[in-house]
Amino acid sequence: MDWSPIWLTLKLAGITTLLLAVVGLPLAYWLSRGRSVGKIIIEALITMPLVLPPSVLGFYLLIAFSPQHGLGKWLATHLNVRLVFSFEGLVLASVIYSMPFMIGPIKSALQQLPLSLSQASYTLGKSRMETFIKVLLPNIRTSLLTAIVLTFAHTLGEFGVVLMIGGNIPHTTRVASIAIYDAVENMDYASANNYSLVLFALTFIIVMAVFIFNKYNSKSPLE
Amino acid sequence: MNHKKIFAFTLCIALHISAFSQSLKVAVAANLQSVIKVLDADFKSKTGIAVEPIVGASGNLVAQIKNGAPFDVFLSADMSFPDALYKYGFTTEKPVVYARGILIVCSTENIDVKHWQQLVLKQSVAKVAIANTTTAPYGKAAKEALVKLQLLDKLSPKIVTGESISQVNTYIFNDVVSLGFTSQSFIYDSGQSKKLYYAVVAPKLYAPIEQGVVVLKHGADNYAAEAQKFYKYLLSSSAKAIFKKYGYHTD
Repeated sequence: MDWSPIWLTLKLAGITTLLLAVVGLPLAYWLSRGRSVGKIIIEALITMPLVLPPSVLGFYLLIAFSPQHGLGKWLATHLNVRLVFSFEGLVLASVIYSMPFMIGPIKSALQQLPLSLSQASYTLGKSRMETFIKVLLPNIRTSLLTAIVLTFAHTLGEFGVVLMIGGNIPHTTRVASIAIYDAVENMDYASANNYSLVLFALTFIIVMAVFIFNKYNSKSPLE
Repeated sequence: MNHKKIFAFTLCIALHISAFSQSLKVAVAANLQSVIKVLDADFKSKTGIAVEPIVGASGNLVAQIKNGAPFDVFLSADMSFPDALYKYGFTTEKPVVYARGILIVCSTENIDVKHWQQLVLKQSVAKVAIANTTTAPYGKAAKEALVKLQLLDKLSPKIVTGESISQVNTYIFNDVVSLGFTSQSFIYDSGQSKKLYYAVVAPKLYAPIEQGVVVLKHGADNYAAEAQKFYKYLLSSSAKAIFKKYGYHTD
């Protein structure tokens, strides 16, 4: 069995999750403070990938970053950056695609925190940054973990976007889901089954771990 | 400051460019999915150069090449796709024919495929598989033959379209369809565990399926020597012998 698609999938999910944690935390914090028309529009856009067919996202990314014209051409000629049929492109697509899974839980958790928590911290002379990191974040630990795990698991299963902008290039864009499709196309059902089993086991373990963790952290095991 | 460390670490990972394996990336038309493995092994034993095949419908592969997919050599199922790539400046030279494909009608059922023209109209034949008639040259050829025989309109309710010839082969192999139009190479596929019944479609019914090969700009820029060697190998007598064994004409 060729393990490179599995490794590539884990790498893609890992990098995507890390990037989204860095981008998502401040973004979720900003969205959780008050409402304005701008914020509602941005939140709608971030949530879009939940319901938008992945092929639509893939198609527009393909158009935007094709080295034939426009932005993609500029990136290719001036920065030598190619975002179609490259691993970097998959990372970018995955960040957009998995964003609602990171932002959603963190934003809801921050909104549910009592306002007195941050106000107490401010009156004690702490800055916004320090309050966010030392007071708010520890209080939403469970949601933070859920967001990270869900983002990771969701990226594992990406298929439509990858097929559109990544194709099927060994060691570069042939992630496990693509490898399964390719193996079935080639009537190599043994390989398809191997990859599918690994993904099945992986996602099952992840979901179970979240369930168990939540059980121990909630006040009653039934919550 | 912990978050600064995390940010720096993330940046490092994000900027880390995945290690490229040093091998020739060859885009391969789906009808070659079995023979390419044999060709690769033979080529590697002769030169020591590893080849990574990427299999797909010729038209889809062309779309990927135009959008910057890093392929070095392209083995098409026809001449018009590599010709178009040459016109747009994605290749160094005009395509050369490396093999001629043979269109067959194939089934897993022991039915009278020899007289497929009458057979397809029968009630017992519920579904007939054809590859995509725009992106897959064998699909194009099958359509040509059916138009010539004035069968296309009568058959259209029964036709199932596969994205590429390999999807058609999957349909045939798993009895999803009664019969399908595919390339003769399917019969010689390794690991066939089922008996296949087939008949060759008369060559006068469709334009010859001349399969062309081109070295792509990406290959010429990055792996000039290896790409050139593989290109020469495909036209050599040892490659021709393998093609023949797998149901292609090479003369």
